[in-house]
Amino acid sequence: MTRRDILLGALFLWMAAVIWAAFLWAPAAAGFLGQSSRIVFFHVPTAWVATLSFLVSFIASVQYLRTRDPRWDVRAHASASLGIVFTILATVTGSIFARIMWGSYWNWDPRETSITFLLLIYAAYFALRGAVPDPERKAALAAVYAILAFVTVPFLVFVVPRIYWSLHPDTIINTKGRITMDSRMFRVFMASLAGFTGLAAWLYDLECRIEALRRKAEEEIL
Amino acid sequence: MWRFLGETMAVFAKDMRCEFRTRVAFNSLALFAVTTLAAVSYTIGPYGIAEADRPYLLGALLWIVVFFAAMAGLDRSFVKEEETHTAPLLRLAARPLVVWGGKLLFNTVTLALLMAILVPLYVVLMGLSVRTPGWFILVLAAGCLALAVTTTIVAAIVARAMSRGALFAVLSVPLLLPLLVFLIQGTRAAIEGRVPDVLAALRAVVSLGGVMTVASAFLFPVVWHD
Repeated sequence: MTRRDILLGALFLWMAAVIWAAFLWAPAAAGFLGQSSRIVFFHVPTAWVATLSFLVSFIASVQYLRTRDPRWDVRAHASASLGIVFTILATVTGSIFARIMWGSYWNWDPRETSITFLLLIYAAYFALRGAVPDPERKAALAAVYAILAFVTVPFLVFVVPRIYWSLHPDTIINTKGRITMDSRMFRVFMASLAGFTGLAAWLYDLECRIEALRRKAEEEIL
Repeated sequence: MWRFLGETMAVFAKDMRCEFRTRVAFNSLALFAVTTLAAVSYTIGPYGIAEADRPYLLGALLWIVVFFAAMAGLDRSFVKEEETHTAPLLRLAARPLVVWGGKLLFNTVTLALLMAILVPLYVVLMGLSVRTPGWFILVLAAGCLALAVTTTIVAAIVARAMSRGALFAVLSVPLLLPLLVFLIQGTRAAIEGRVPDVLAALRAVVSLGGVMTVASAFLFPVVWHD
């Protein structure tokens, strides 16, 4: 059994415990309809991992432009792919919450709007990659676009939702800098955050290895 | 500094001369804007929107017309260099930052000319009355600069890729959407005469535009030489 297998087993157990605790151990928050508040254990960590993935993609893109090492391009590509998957998950979980609390899946709330923009930005990143045949030029142009895209992320994640009035509940650490969550909920929430980060790290490693193998196979064919 | 400005102006003058030979970018932008405005004016006109909704909807429509017109022609400055195979010569003759500066200036002037024609027409045809015209013009000017900065770097990227026409819109739209949200809010506030809200929107536009300018200036040499 390798170290990777042990870590994967631990991650599996951790996530199973988080799911159990999220539904059976943590109490439902007051002020929310029924059990809808439990979605916070999945919605916020997916949004966190999506933002983290875009940050990794940005750092890897900067590193690619500095070093011209194709492995950084593989990392940037892998983390952007993960970012888009987790953004979709955050959007879907947010939509389910919106349906229960506000009566419709979508109503262009500032946070819904900003996550849509984020999705479009990273979809465009993949469109650009598909439109450049030369691998080196593709890597360089994609890195430039990823950096430009990341520049807009703070505006989308922090500025737009705070400038305009929103139905969205207060973020975990709100504008007053206070955490208003029940302590048991908070423990499950932090465990979920750690679990999702671990899950993203595992998927990132997997995606990097698959992408490296794909490129190696392409080189062999050529 | 003066040398940089002189070289930038030389690239800008070259682009203007080339543009006035064919007027492809100007014609595309102006015709697209006027056609869209005619369609909007014909279907909605000055009385088609309820009084309470006018500031918001007219502000949004104005930026939609400007945005789509920009998509129709602002990629020409770089795409033309690649299509006519003059880009390698420009790479030898001028420093990357000078080329970026010249093209940015060209796109800014093109967009400003477009807005100088479009906005008065829009005001007349849509019956738009603005409570704080000075702030309204300032929002338009800031929007013009910020749009030009973003579209210039995207045009440079697109010129180095395939299926350029479609790609320009695909890459520009997501980067420009947050900017357009701030601009529409700022324009609405200027129409309604709410100066503090105009200032808040302007701060967002200037900071996003400023960050884009710095990032573009740093990244352009990579796009230009790769």
